Amino acid sequence: MSSRPSIPSDNQGNDAVLTVPASLDHLRLVTNFVAQIASRAGFAPEQVHRIELAVDEACANIILHAYAGQAGGKITTRVHVQPGHRLVITFIDTGKTFDPDEVPQHDPHVDLDNLKVGGLGIFLMRQAMDDVRYEFNVAGSRPDEPATFNRLTLVKHL
Amino acid sequence: MNALLTITSERADDSPITLLQLAGRLDASTVGQLEHALADAHAAGVRAAVIDLSRLTYVSSSGLRVLLSERSAIRKRGGDLFLCALSLSVREVFDMVGFSAIFSLFDSVEVGMEAASILTKTR
Repeated sequence: MSSRPSIPSDNQGNDAVLTVPASLDHLRLVTNFVAQIASRAGFAPEQVHRIELAVDEACANIILHAYAGQAGGKITTRVHVQPGHRLVITFIDTGKTFDPDEVPQHDPHVDLDNLKVGGLGIFLMRQAMDDVRYEFNVAGSRPDEPATFNRLTLVKHL
Repeated sequence: MNALLTITSERADDSPITLLQLAGRLDASTVGQLEHALADAHAAGVRAAVIDLSRLTYVSSSGLRVLLSERSAIRKRGGDLFLCALSLSVREVFDMVGFSAIFSLFDSVEVGMEAASILTKTR
């Protein structure tokens, strides 16, 4: 396992998976789903809040930007617990790709009245989690995966 | 009505001050309710919006964005936003993004109302 820094794809059997329509009505369902698993995995309430925030931002970005109102989109959330070690959350969507580096970076120390609102969600995700990784146009390798998809991975250490 | 977020609004007749009480969660799915409440306040000529956040348990970037743009809009009209009694989890998010240094934050609604009253009398 230590030789595989990415999601241990050979260990899917223990993962919790939830697929929902990409609509804001389902945002709370996904955050609840991950928060409950994080609590059971031993994260303190303030850490669960941070995880919930990152999941919220990740899903809201997929719904509002990747699918941008396009009907029929889905988000698959997979949660992998490595007991006593870390929580790995992946989100899969088939919406539009984007370059995270092109999103204006939020800087909490800028001149207050010139503060731009862009990039707040990604900033919060990076603040709340230990690792945030975007992959685009990933080729599906399993029957339950789309032919190509986008994958966002969030990691939080216990 | 969306049960995730409830907003109650109080304003004395013709007062330039409105008090909004938020309870629940302010995220991408509920933020439209706050935008509506603030638009109503604009239409009524409000210059000071006192927002009681003591029962707001959660805020995400969607809520932060609306608060930031509202702050900018109301200040252009010579007014301000007065955010009161932030819960610990909301305060943590404000601290993370640097908003605690930007916004006028008050420990209680009473103190926020007092500050709003001073502002509307002096401008």
